[in-house]
Amino acid sequence: MDAAALVRDTIYRSTILLDRQDWNEWLAHCDNGFQYAIRAFSPEINKDVTYLALDREGLASLVKLLPKHNTDHSPLTRHTSVYTVDVDEQAHSAKAVSSVIVYQTLLDGINSHIDAGESRLFLVGKYLDAFKIENNKAKFVSREVRIENRRLDKGSHWPI
Amino acid sequence: MAAKNHGQWLAEPGLKPNEWVDSRIYSDPGIFEEELEKIFKKAWIPICHESELAKPYDFRTTTIAREPIIVCRGPDNEVRAFLNVCPHRGMIIERRPSGSFLEGQPSGNPKRMTCMFHAWQYDLRGNCVYISREKEGYQERLRKEDVGLRRLRCEVKFGGFVWVTLDDNPQVSLEDWAGPAFTCLRKTLEAEPLEVFHYHKAIVNANYKLWHDTNCEFYHDFMHYHNRVTGFNDAYFARKNEAFEHGHIVVGTFEVKYENYEGFQSRAALSFPYLPPNQWYMIDMFPGMNFNLRGSALRCDVVTPLAPDRVMIEFRGLGLKRDTAEERQTRVNHHNSIWGPFGRNLHEDLLGVQGQGTTMLPGSEPRRILHGRHENQTIHDENGMRHYYQEWGRWMNRQPNNPDLPYAEPMSVAAE
Repeated sequence: MDAAALVRDTIYRSTILLDRQDWNEWLAHCDNGFQYAIRAFSPEINKDVTYLALDREGLASLVKLLPKHNTDHSPLTRHTSVYTVDVDEQAHSAKAVSSVIVYQTLLDGINSHIDAGESRLFLVGKYLDAFKIENNKAKFVSREVRIENRRLDKGSHWPI
Repeated sequence: MAAKNHGQWLAEPGLKPNEWVDSRIYSDPGIFEEELEKIFKKAWIPICHESELAKPYDFRTTTIAREPIIVCRGPDNEVRAFLNVCPHRGMIIERRPSGSFLEGQPSGNPKRMTCMFHAWQYDLRGNCVYISREKEGYQERLRKEDVGLRRLRCEVKFGGFVWVTLDDNPQVSLEDWAGPAFTCLRKTLEAEPLEVFHYHKAIVNANYKLWHDTNCEFYHDFMHYHNRVTGFNDAYFARKNEAFEHGHIVVGTFEVKYENYEGFQSRAALSFPYLPPNQWYMIDMFPGMNFNLRGSALRCDVVTPLAPDRVMIEFRGLGLKRDTAEERQTRVNHHNSIWGPFGRNLHEDLLGVQGQGTTMLPGSEPRRILHGRHENQTIHDENGMRHYYQEWGRWMNRQPNNPDLPYAEPMSVAAE
């Protein structure tokens, strides 16, 4: 598989792992120096805003502690389309831009009798990813989830 | 006694009348409309922070009690507020959430607020300075000098927040209304300029007072794993819940042990001025604003009631304007790891209030919501909510525990 195909494959496999909430398997695709952030531009305050920023260790702690938190268990389904992959052969690295749309299928967030089973648009944005390519594998070095939403209602405990 | 039959369920609890409220105050459409008129059109509301209008001609738009509002910084650096409504045909003048009037608009000139509909233009003091084809249409019957924007009382205060009231003649000044509650943090918030770094909003299906209740009571810390492991020690349980005139509450401080939550560190290095390390103060302002300082980051919540069972909450995070890029990023992370839309606590708080809203829909059977915990006015005492609802009763002239009756001061006020 060529480097660009490796990158695409890793993004799509990661989408499935995130949807499955297989957090640790997802983290296995991330380099030790991985940096993760959810950001948006807020026209309200005319600034970039960071909604979550963690390194790999921080993410590992976050997902480890999830079972101790009360949360909305409504599953998230990500629809990802890889738009561009730019490979730097000499640096063994790549950058990719993907569109991501996240739907939330309600379970226990409001009144399950009425709402459970309904899928709602949850987030609109892009994945801005950077990769290290080694040993025929593409590993995430960074992921910025660049979202359009600033109205986030109940929000979420989960990485996107 | 275990589970109750209907009659037992509806019976009055064995508490004093001011220790519960009737859930109709959270769901009745008539009461909601009355609240907009009697409370939100009279109260001082912190609609934004001055750093959102950093330069002359910057503006910000918002809404209070369905009335669209614009605040702008004039060329003289004064922040002024107006109804964002053109006196001509009632068009909303500025449609963007924020921006600058230094740029011209398709219908109008730079340095003017222009109504795009018919190109009427206003200066930053609210004077009408241009009516298109004025003489042709109005001859001498109406001149631009005869019209202008509706100006609103506006003050920048308590750490640079922009406070507006729709009431031209408020019963008390902003200083008298909010100053005493801000005493605990005033030196800290006014030591140097602050700057907003975070904004997001939530619309949840719950009454606005339920969100304020959540901010006023800490008994719900049992819901938060983070707060249990970083607090819940003797110092935490000794925190005072102090009531101030006009319905405000201040929750006293203690030292939070952030390092007890895996992956979190002490926030001592970035404490706001004059604060010992890792302190946590909260000021809850009637009728629904909250200033929450966890040592290194300030959060401000402002509610905009949309319906009896629907509220928008705007969340802001603030740091020190002089922050280096590295300090700012750390401060942002401190704020958002707990209070951001993907933080550990805010999601849980919003689930809690949404869950209350689910059981208190308009038309659902009225029930009693208990505010009866007494713990010497410390952190899990519910005196904050009792204090709030006394104020609510006065403004509304309704009994919180029976809103069909006119308000009467509870016999136990002195004990609070």
